[in-house]
Amino acid sequence: MRPFIRAAWLAIAVAPIAAHAKPIAFQDGWTAMAEYGTDTMREAQVFYAPRYWWSGGLSATKIIADDGRFEREMPGAQLNYLVKRWNLPAAQGNFFVWGGLASARGFDTGGERFSAVFTQKLGAQLDYETRSVYASAKTDWFHSSRFTHRVDTVQLGFAPYEHDYDELAFWFLVQARRINGGVMAGTEWVPMVRLFKGNFWIEGGVNRDRRAQLMVMMNF
Amino acid sequence: MKRAIVALMIGGAASLGAQAKTIKMEVNGLVCAFCAQGIEKKLRAMAPTKDVYVSLEKRLVAVALKDGQDIPDATLRESLKDSGYDVVQVARTEDSLDAVRKAAKEK
Repeated sequence: MRPFIRAAWLAIAVAPIAAHAKPIAFQDGWTAMAEYGTDTMREAQVFYAPRYWWSGGLSATKIIADDGRFEREMPGAQLNYLVKRWNLPAAQGNFFVWGGLASARGFDTGGERFSAVFTQKLGAQLDYETRSVYASAKTDWFHSSRFTHRVDTVQLGFAPYEHDYDELAFWFLVQARRINGGVMAGTEWVPMVRLFKGNFWIEGGVNRDRRAQLMVMMNF
Repeated sequence: MKRAIVALMIGGAASLGAQAKTIKMEVNGLVCAFCAQGIEKKLRAMAPTKDVYVSLEKRLVAVALKDGQDIPDATLRESLKDSGYDVVQVARTEDSLDAVRKAAKEK
């Protein structure tokens, strides 16, 4: 598989995590996200929010180089904090930061395996949305004694119609992403489709190799 | 003059006696149905709540009250704040929730 295709696959795979999703649902609320479907990315997260401005929980991320030469699995704990929310008459903006600790395992380039490697995670997200337009910028930074990766994501989206509370929401998005540390080269552009209704969210895409990925999320 | 004062008192008493059926709140930041689930969850957990209606288009959250019950404005504002939103205005009406819903859906 050509590097570009594999990179696009990765971008599709991680897109849901960086997308519209917010790490804090509401006070006394749970957010659960699971994504599966590519050779290059897996992630599962469960957060509980004691207050509307912070949440904590478990997060497990697996990153695989686009050529398969290394892998990192990073199960751990994560805290999320809402620094600022702008509730406007017809829009909302948010600035989130988060940090976490994980115990990484996997193998490096050359096949040398490792486990129980202390890993730090830091991240931030700035987003703005109306009922028809969405924009976000997000960064995630993973650091350990064996590796460092930064994932930068910018998304722009629009809704072909403005959904209401009891209606099915439908969105088109375009994502630009860079992942450093040897995971991929250059910037990937990924088109996506998203549907949600009630407390259930599903989205997916198919890459140029016709390989599908799926992500589901629930608030409760 | 006396009659006018009495009429005012009676009118005031009647007004106080009138029981609001529905609370309507104008809410800022209400743009995503998935993200607004917390509003419904929190309001439905309140004992006086009979039903809840949310309209993103009208930026409206409405609560139908059980007979003879009410929710203080401060409690409503705090509840919406805990859901991540800001209440701009609170109003009470004798209209049913169905009537409020119907009015909100009218373009």
